[in-house]
Amino acid sequence: MRHPLSVPDLSVAASVALAPVATAVSAAVADVFTVLDDWRDRVAAAVPVATTAELDALVESLVVPTLVGGVAAHDTPMLLIGAGFIAAADDRQASPAHFAWWLGPLAGNPLLGTTLAPTRLDLAARVHTEYLRDFRGLEWYRVPEATGRAHVTGPYVDHLCTFDFIVTLTLPVLVDGRMVGVIGADVSVTRLEQSLLPALLGLDAPAALVNAIGRVVISTEATLAAGDIVPNPGHPLAAYDRAPCAGFPFDVIARRPLE
Amino acid sequence: MEAQLRPGAREAIFAQLIEAGRAEQVARRLTDAIILGVLTSGERLPSEQELARRFGVALITVREGLVILRESGLVETRRGRGGGSFVIQADAPDETLLHTRLRGVTHVELSDLAVYFATIMEGCAERAALRAAPDDADRLSEWLALADWDRDAGARANAGGFYLELAVLSQSARLVREQVRLQAEFGPLLLLGLADPSVRARVAACNTDVVAAVRAGDGPLARTLVAGQVRELAEWLHAAKTRIERGGTLHAASAVSA
Repeated sequence: MRHPLSVPDLSVAASVALAPVATAVSAAVADVFTVLDDWRDRVAAAVPVATTAELDALVESLVVPTLVGGVAAHDTPMLLIGAGFIAAADDRQASPAHFAWWLGPLAGNPLLGTTLAPTRLDLAARVHTEYLRDFRGLEWYRVPEATGRAHVTGPYVDHLCTFDFIVTLTLPVLVDGRMVGVIGADVSVTRLEQSLLPALLGLDAPAALVNAIGRVVISTEATLAAGDIVPNPGHPLAAYDRAPCAGFPFDVIARRPLE
Repeated sequence: MEAQLRPGAREAIFAQLIEAGRAEQVARRLTDAIILGVLTSGERLPSEQELARRFGVALITVREGLVILRESGLVETRRGRGGGSFVIQADAPDETLLHTRLRGVTHVELSDLAVYFATIMEGCAERAALRAAPDDADRLSEWLALADWDRDAGARANAGGFYLELAVLSQSARLVREQVRLQAEFGPLLLLGLADPSVRARVAACNTDVVAAVRAGDGPLARTLVAGQVRELAEWLHAAKTRIERGGTLHAASAVSA
């Protein structure tokens, strides 16, 4: 299934040379979405009939093996550092949202230290009510809710659980046309770089992966750091070739050779 | 919306501990959180097992730490179903406990913590200004517009939350992590000065200026503003410690605690 995400408006012709990297990026993101599609279908089928505990057990059985072993069926390395299902708050009861979310093994997390096995995000202990009240305003929830479509958030530093530089992929879970929550996964940018580096190094020149607002995700260009925004005064748009990553809001960019 | 403290800063109360004297550290971390209003009256602490896991210490260490808190009259332990350790501190910071806390830390330690905190925050603010997208500035602005600076506890929560938001906008995971650790260690003390309404007003105004600097992409200005804010809070703390050491009160005679 293709995900009709918004893609950057390209004012310049796509670069042929950068296309292989863009293809690799799209393939990596599509692999994760393929897994999320499957989870979404299973959760959507269970929501009308399952108890909360049964739903949690289902999500755990889907998510934990992937956090430990990667997406084996798709030959994808372990890109995910967190994943799960976040149920929409029941507005009739005004109850807080239900997080069935697991974190993969963590290193040096300021809250959880170092963990060797997946841990469930402990909502009761971790998140205070103010956050619960407005989590619907966060991009990874708000956009799928508004559009009914898959969404890519980030890269950004997550200050809720992983404290890492991540990209969050979310899919709305619809039952009878009503969104009952989102299925999501946090992709570690570190691991994404490890996965995409061979493709980037296969280019003749340094390059970078940027998101729809030009935020650098991964870069082999020495003057561009992850987290920077392009264009900026030192990096005018005209200096770069770019190739869109089909289906997803990312571009691969590389500095044009001097003429 | 009174308390806007993001989960990170609050949750860091329970972050892992290092070094010796762990029971005392457990007690210190929780005492700071309670006497400075981060944990509020009537709130149930996580279970002993959960605290042991979160702090990364043995169960017996947590129990020893909780004994210290009980003897200080900060928590009570109820048995049975729905039991646990509950915060019994009144909402206003307890002057006596604050005096003890401030006597227990030296000026040189306070100075060093303030220098370190300021350095981290200056870096966060400068990077945030250089790296924030227009949407980021909008969100930060909206966040700040909802922040309440009228009352002591709300102002502390919002000041700490604003530091964390700036760290997030720096796009540096390490800065965010260090900011969270540092706020757990020093935040409650540093933000004591917000009990003074005039300090609260200046911090609120300063943060509005910081948002403007972030929006304008003016890194040096954002850095300077944050440095000035941390300096004022640190100077307030030094002055308060000196007053207490001389047998006086936490607050200067002119300041009215809200």
